[in-house]
Amino acid sequence: MKPLNQKAERVQQAAADGQMEEVRAMQTVTAGCATTFDPGWEVDPFGGLAALCQPMEADLYGCSDPCWWPAQVPDIMVNHQNWDEGAPNAAKDWRALGTTYPTDAET
Amino acid sequence: MQLRPRGLTAALLVSVAGAAPALASEELQNICSSCHTAEENGLSRISGQRKSPEGWMMTIVRMQQSHGLEISAEDRRAIVQHLADTQGLAPSEAAPFRYALEKDPNAQESFDEPFASMCSRCHTGARGLLQNRTAEEWELHMDFHVGHFPTIEYQALGRDREWYKIARTEIAGFLAEQNPLETAAWTDWQAAEKQPVAGNWVVMTDLPGIGEAYGKLTVTGDASPYQVSGEFVTADGTVHPASGQMNLYTGYEWRANLDIGGTPYRQVLALSEDGNSLQGRQFDRGNDALGAPLSGVREGAGSVILGTVPSAVPAGEAQVQVVGTGLDGLDASAGEATANTFGAALSLAAEGNGVVTFSAGGAEGQIAHYTSVDSLRVEPEFTIARVGGGSDEGPAAVPAYFNAVGMWNGSDGEAGTEDDVRIGRVEAQWTVANAHEHAAHMKDTEFSGVMQANGIFLPAIAGPNPDRPFSANNAGELTVQAEAMGQQAEAMLIVTVQRFIDPPIR
Repeated sequence: MKPLNQKAERVQQAAADGQMEEVRAMQTVTAGCATTFDPGWEVDPFGGLAALCQPMEADLYGCSDPCWWPAQVPDIMVNHQNWDEGAPNAAKDWRALGTTYPTDAET
Repeated sequence: MQLRPRGLTAALLVSVAGAAPALASEELQNICSSCHTAEENGLSRISGQRKSPEGWMMTIVRMQQSHGLEISAEDRRAIVQHLADTQGLAPSEAAPFRYALEKDPNAQESFDEPFASMCSRCHTGARGLLQNRTAEEWELHMDFHVGHFPTIEYQALGRDREWYKIARTEIAGFLAEQNPLETAAWTDWQAAEKQPVAGNWVVMTDLPGIGEAYGKLTVTGDASPYQVSGEFVTADGTVHPASGQMNLYTGYEWRANLDIGGTPYRQVLALSEDGNSLQGRQFDRGNDALGAPLSGVREGAGSVILGTVPSAVPAGEAQVQVVGTGLDGLDASAGEATANTFGAALSLAAEGNGVVTFSAGGAEGQIAHYTSVDSLRVEPEFTIARVGGGSDEGPAAVPAYFNAVGMWNGSDGEAGTEDDVRIGRVEAQWTVANAHEHAAHMKDTEFSGVMQANGIFLPAIAGPNPDRPFSANNAGELTVQAEAMGQQAEAMLIVTVQRFIDPPIR
């Protein structure tokens, strides 16, 4: 077996070092996590960052498209269907992801 | 001045819109009635709701983004003016939630269940509670959430309960009782005589990165947009000219865009019911995290002391501006006072630690002078910043602004107890440290941003960082440390990711 990503490499290293007891699947770290990973957007349920997806761009669309943080991140399912236009790969194209509230809509 | 009855609204809105098409309730009807049907009390959906100016603006923006409404910025603002004036919130209704209108980055909410998990898990509770609706409208508001955000029932804190049932019964019922369309407060406010806002205002605030400041603003005009001009002055006497425009909604909601010394600022203030004072927050228009409370008093409104600039002084010779109005003959326990256009100037030559008190015409105030402090406090104790920038499209970085406040122990000789004496803001040296072992492992202090000497933390650039484990963002958990006069204090700072939806009410 050859690890395909950095996390898999960490697991392999943990096994080699006898530290498998410390390896946890994400849903056991993030409270409320079940069939879909859903840490908070700004902070995790413990008020920190350790259990957030990092970098968030790696799986951004997997969560934002189905409207996982409706008040913070545009969903393309219903409300902001063109938000990801020109940015098929968020990790590479993150510079194309803009804000959605119009800057001239001031009271 | 009374809020204008519908028949007179046309005149008001013509002056608001300038060269734009005349907008009155009839035109509002023309624009909105292609979707909203006429009913006994007005247009469907709209007539059953009352909101803040920002709430109405967000609703119209949603009509544009989700329902294809095409409308000019001028018409949109004019409709917000009309709706906020005729279906707004009374001052007492908005008062508990002004922090959301003011975009206070340090406000923390705490609500009881089930409102906390059902509503404020996504947005501020204030966003909901800055609205009043009929019972039917609150029920429709629950359905709106399911329609627009269909996974709401499957998200964390949604799938562990009968979300829709709770929303339709408990939450809609709670809100209908808590925030009904018709209230005595709104009826009374509609009937109340509104005070004119034009005139001269003495104000006091803090310009982040520049310093504590006092000033005077002159408001001219008789309808939105009012013209505002004046100046802000920092403790060292530097004058920052101010000019811009202000819209007044619902008879008391002051929204101004001012250029102050070359930087665009925004003011979200409330005019008091007697028309003699202002209270709210002023912030950098391009970066609302950089702001501070602003208070104001109408020039000539009796004797009023807003405070001092600076808020505290090192012992020795010092020039202090007592900010207020009607302070002729200010009687101070030390120093020489001379009335001026911003209140009174006070020349001090104070030794050691102590407090100088002063009064005029029944108004009282004080300022502390110090050679030492017993403890320090960092304000805020907890806040967040956001990485950002690095592109033309994405959100800019959101900084965090800290101040060090000197404290004396009080008579019990112990720090952190109720009788501690707040001295005021003191100069401090600022550093950041990794908040815990994981932050140290991720080298958050190296990646998350830079703490400036003026207490403003500037977060790092957005995007995956290939130099961090897993190409993590430049997020981080930091301890902010202030040191002054041999004392230290800390605050907690979380540097987190961007916010891509950032409306006036979060």
